[in-house]
Order: sequence, then C-alpha cells, then structure tokens
Amino acid sequence: MLLARALRAAAALRPPPPRRLLSAAAPFPRALLPPPAAAAAPALARSLWQLGGGGWRTALLRPRRDSAGGVSCGCGGLHTEGDKAFAEFLTDEIKEEKKIQKHKALPKISGGWELEVHGTEAKLVQKIAGEKITVTFNINNSIPPSLEEEEETQGEQKPDEQEPDITSTPNFVVEVIKDDTKQTLVLDCHYPEDEVGQEGEDESDIFTIREVSFQPTGESDWKETNYTLNTDSLDWALYDHLMDFLADRGVDNTFADELIELSTALEHQEYIKFLEDLKSFVKCQ
Amino acid sequence: MSVVIRNAQRAVAVRRAPLRRAVGALRAALGADRFDVALVCAGNGTMRRLNAAYRRRDEPTDVLSFPFHQVAAGQLPRPRFRDEYNLGDIFLGVEYIGEQCRRSGEDFGGVLAVTAAHGLCHLLGYQHNTKSEWQQMYQKEKEILEELNRVTGANLRPLTADLF
Repeated sequence: MLLARALRAAAALRPPPPRRLLSAAAPFPRALLPPPAAAAAPALARSLWQLGGGGWRTALLRPRRDSAGGVSCGCGGLHTEGDKAFAEFLTDEIKEEKKIQKHKALPKISGGWELEVHGTEAKLVQKIAGEKITVTFNINNSIPPSLEEEEETQGEQKPDEQEPDITSTPNFVVEVIKDDTKQTLVLDCHYPEDEVGQEGEDESDIFTIREVSFQPTGESDWKETNYTLNTDSLDWALYDHLMDFLADRGVDNTFADELIELSTALEHQEYIKFLEDLKSFVKCQ
Repeated sequence: MSVVIRNAQRAVAVRRAPLRRAVGALRAALGADRFDVALVCAGNGTMRRLNAAYRRRDEPTDVLSFPFHQVAAGQLPRPRFRDEYNLGDIFLGVEYIGEQCRRSGEDFGGVLAVTAAHGLCHLLGYQHNTKSEWQQMYQKEKEILEELNRVTGANLRPLTADLF
C-alpha cells in the first residue's frame, strides 16, 4: 500500500489506546460470585478493582492446578476453570455489545463514495471528471484517549449513569490522482484530538490537514525523498485553498462527520469480531 | 498579519479563500492590516450559546464580535507588545446567514463579507445602540465595503442599512 507508511506513522503519533469500557451486565463469572444488585445496571469492568478485597478475587487470579489437565478436547492446549469463566464472560460481553450496536451494516457516506474494507483498514473511492479520489483510514488506535481520562477524573460511576458513546476519529489520508499525471497528491488529515469533547470544540475546525506531499502514482513504496509540506507553519491563505480544494472533491465537514460514524461502526464491528475470535480461541473451538 | 479562519460547523458549506480575501481587503480598508483577526464560522447551536452567555439573548444570530482591545469608534489600538497586535475574534453565524439567504435569495458569499465587515467594525469600537452611533458605524461599513466592491467588482451594502 502506498499509504501504509503514512497510516502507520499517523497511528504511532497517538498514545496507547484506552481500554474499552466493558458493558457486560454481569462483569464476572456468576459461578464464582453472584452479581450484586447494582450489577443489573451497566457497569465498568474497571470498577471490579474498586470493590475491595474479597475472596472471589483470589479465586479468579489463582490458577487451579488440579483441574488444568483434567479437561481436554484433544487439542493439546490447557483448559482451566479460568478459561471457562473467561469464555462465559466473553459470551455475556458479546451479547451486551451486540445489544448496543447501532449499525448492523456499515453506514453509507453521502455522495458517490464506494467503500472497500480490508480488516481494520477502509478505503473510500470516488471518481470525479478525470480524477480519482481515495480516502483511507485504519480504525486501530482511533479512539481518542480523552475519553478514558474523563472517566478516571469522574470517580465512581453512578449506577444509572449512561456510559459515554465511544467514537472513533481516525486520521485519514486523501489521495487525489489525475488521469494525465504520474503524481498523486497525498493529504494527511486529522481530527483535532486534543480538543475532542473539550470546551474549545465549538471554535475548532472539524478536521485539519497536517501534511501534504506528492507520491508516484501506482507505486507501493513511500518516497521519503519527496518534499512533505507540514501545515504547522504554513501560510494561512495556502491552507484555506487546500481546504477548499478538498471540499470541491467531496471532503468537507459533512464528509468528516460521516466518516466518524462509519469508522465508529467499523471499529465496533471489529471489536465484536475480536471478542468472538477470543472466545473461540479460549474455548478451543 | 494573519487572518485565521476556523470552520467549526457542518450545516453550510463555506468557501474559505474568498472569505479570507474579503476580510483581508476590509481589514486593509480599516487601516488595520498590521493586526491579527480570527473568524470562526459557527452553527446555530454555538451562536445561540454565545448570544445567551454574552448578550442574554437565547437565540442564534448572524455575528458576534469579541474585541481584544477596548477603543473608541474609529481609533486603532495602540499595542505595546507583539502579542497585542490582535483585533479579536469574530463568530460568523454561517448557518443562520445561510438560512436567511435561502429565504431572501441573496448571495451567501456576499452576505458573509457584509457580515464580516460589520463584525470588524465592532472590533474597532463601532456600535449601533443610538442613532448617532449607528450613523458613524454605517458610514464606516459603507466606506470599507465600497473599497471591497472596487477590488472585487461586487455591489455590497452595509448590514445595518435600515436600522434607524
């Protein structure tokens, strides 16, 4: 992929992703500890650690050596009581995640965009009068860390408090390819991460262009020797023309908003798939 | 000095480059091109919130100006430091303006420039609370819009043409 490097580099700039808020109604195996009354409301898995020392914690963490080899499906792998509890937990978690899943199918982007999805990477393609425009993004590490920080500063969550929606705001790379040139114009775009959910949100651009460069059309390798324009110190007039240039090609604030919706749906879909794979792996199915 | 534009809404498409050109010409006509100015293109929600917070009017509006300096109408600020070469911030209610233009059939880009001229005059101390204040502000808006018309070939008139 021509853009693989750009996407990887962009992802590397982000801090480690926040741990997902687990929304299971029963955040621990029922067999080991009956859930408290409050567990009927959505609870954070993290809150388990705030409950204080109880016998159940020791039981959960200590491997049961005597039963480790007692159960086998012939795969040669280890099957412990912990694995069983883990699989039960994942079953509940998958059920809860599917319950809150907003989109069963990925939402469409307005305009003539066609969507291709390869695992965690999505590509939107549109052709306009002699030009091909592609927008590529990867949902890995795309959830802003501010969400988790907010959670931590809020202290204990009230039982009836709604969990905030998780929103995926990936960096995205726009490629503009003209039919009659061998150069592709590549624009690396970001959502203003440090202002997501903050007060300054009303005054910020919905998305910004960080870098602009030319890359050879159709080549998989990124040319490090090509000039890269960083917009940090760019003339504002040039920046505005670049934003208008993108808007003319369908990449505007409305598009950026819809991309968040698409990315959030894809991220959630992949998360559920991951949980299902994890459950199968743990259960050795 | 800089004209900084932020487009913080998705209700209306805003062309940045023509808006910048208009604001640059208007600022020069005011003799204030040594000063920075920021424009935020905002939706009805933001305009309503700011209007309620700063003017106690719980409704969206077309323009709100936040001057960096307090000056008498027609006077330029006298900065002591580099950071003080700043006129302030103008919030353009582009969603509100867009709705009005759809109803009246006026050109959105033109009305945006006229509204920006009004906001710039407020940053430089002009007001329209009394008839005499309005006359002074109207004259200045007319003057700088005529300069913009000369450069662009447009035929723009002040926002407050029929206020009193």
